[in-house]
Amino acid sequence: MPDLAIDVVDLKKTYRTPFTRRKVEALRGVTFQVERGHIFGFVGPNGAGKTTAIRTLMGLIRPTSGSATILGQKIPSRAARFKVGFLPESPYFYDYLTVSELLDLAGRLFGVPAALRKKRADELIERVGLDRARSQSLKKYSKGMLQRAGLAQALMNDPELVVLDEPMSGLDPIGRKEVRELILSLRDAGKTVFFSTHILSDVEAMTDRVAIIARGQLQDQGKPSQLVQQTILGTDVMIRIAEDADVAALTEAGERVRRRDDELSLTLPADADVDAWIAKAHAAGGKIVQITPRHETLEDLFLRRVEAAS
Amino acid sequence: MIGRIWAIALNTFREAARIRVLYGIIVLVVGANLLSIVLGEMATHEEARVARDVGLTGMSLFGSLTAIFLGVFLLYTEVQRRTIHAIVSKPIERWEFVVGKYLGMALVLSVLVAMFGIAMTGVLAIQGVAISAAVLKAVVLAWFEVLTVAAIAIFFSSFSTPFMSGIFALAMWVIGRLTPDVEAAARTASPWIRTLTRVTLEIVPDLHLFAISGRTLDGEHVSVHGEFVSWGYVGLSGLHGLGWIAGLLAIAALLFHRRDFV
Repeated sequence: MPDLAIDVVDLKKTYRTPFTRRKVEALRGVTFQVERGHIFGFVGPNGAGKTTAIRTLMGLIRPTSGSATILGQKIPSRAARFKVGFLPESPYFYDYLTVSELLDLAGRLFGVPAALRKKRADELIERVGLDRARSQSLKKYSKGMLQRAGLAQALMNDPELVVLDEPMSGLDPIGRKEVRELILSLRDAGKTVFFSTHILSDVEAMTDRVAIIARGQLQDQGKPSQLVQQTILGTDVMIRIAEDADVAALTEAGERVRRRDDELSLTLPADADVDAWIAKAHAAGGKIVQITPRHETLEDLFLRRVEAAS
Repeated sequence: MIGRIWAIALNTFREAARIRVLYGIIVLVVGANLLSIVLGEMATHEEARVARDVGLTGMSLFGSLTAIFLGVFLLYTEVQRRTIHAIVSKPIERWEFVVGKYLGMALVLSVLVAMFGIAMTGVLAIQGVAISAAVLKAVVLAWFEVLTVAAIAIFFSSFSTPFMSGIFALAMWVIGRLTPDVEAAARTASPWIRTLTRVTLEIVPDLHLFAISGRTLDGEHVSVHGEFVSWGYVGLSGLHGLGWIAGLLAIAALLFHRRDFV
């Protein structure tokens, strides 16, 4: 039995709408496990139940049924929360505070001693790149800066488990890269990271395991490399050919045909004779620019699973 | 536990100190105290009486209204703006959060009452009148009243919108202040009105205990301008208020504990 940081079993959450009292099933029996020391990606479309699941784990929402443990403690557990850092979705903080004051407040709530609080806050402010904005109130922060402040407050207790709800949201490409590096460095330091996201390339690049949720139910989970199909789905080809050349014979078997100036790109089906197509392209005066066998990506899998769920 | 409650209280104090309306109220109350000098001049030989009345009424009225205003907004906005998500996901019990919020508000209201008291003392000093023990007792009673009203407002805010909480808290304040008058009026009413009144008064804090000046206590007329209540009465009234505060906060914490923060 692996050492689990999170163990969720048949978790359900049903809301009732305020006036009509209509039932809304936000979580419909979700089960998954996160091993200690792993980076776990939790992906799903908007309204899939990601945030509800995370808020339930963090004790913000009471589950209707099912059970969950965090670091071996049944939720909601104050003892477990001492060892968990949490970044809420689109974090809202007291906008009259500076980032130092926010981290001081977080540290006080975690019971971090005053001297260590100051030291850790200074380190984290530098680590998330807010050193130059430390004297500004959070009111003046951009969305990306708030996200960084949120990450810093989630790490004030030097947590064993970090739960991040959409940590890349609002960040520019540089910010995203920095957060990716931060998440990887947390794993290198032996911490467990559980995060939700829409950005599948991040999940593919970083996670040890991934779970796909749609319509309140888990659609798939496992290692990204095991989830996606390893068979070739097709071959992406690109050639350079005269603009006035007749390419009908080249495009008839292809999908996703695109022609721009002297460039022609398309995808040949998995069973196509690629060598024969290349010969035909040469005969028509084309020059091969690129030939890439196409495997299933996490995005393909994600779309397949979400479509199946709906 | 103390550290976490204090962290929330301190943050609430910071938050409340940024509300500009509070500064307007301070200006209004200090202005009213200064105006009492003019009013006192118009009422010959009654300068000190006018200053005391205006000062204590301002303290009780504006202190209680501020308590309602802060109580109905400060807890609600935490949920509405979702700032609470980053707080209750940390190792803090929800009751600690409610108590911390209340203590932060109590700190702000205590500063306000102290400022109102200083303004009144200043006006009395201008008129050459030393602050008496009776005035000091009346200030302490007004402070208890304001703190009790804050707990009423927080209680309603734990399950209702600011508008509804404000209406409920205001109604409780008015009824609580007029308990003896409501009782007297109900004596001649129909039996079911009398029952309704009795039930209502049972669930409303006796705020009139804190505004006792000008009323009859144990057959004796008590007044801040003459014979006033003993320190023993002040202490007992304080305990009465404390009982209500503890009860209201306990129910608020229980309601808050059951809430989902979506």
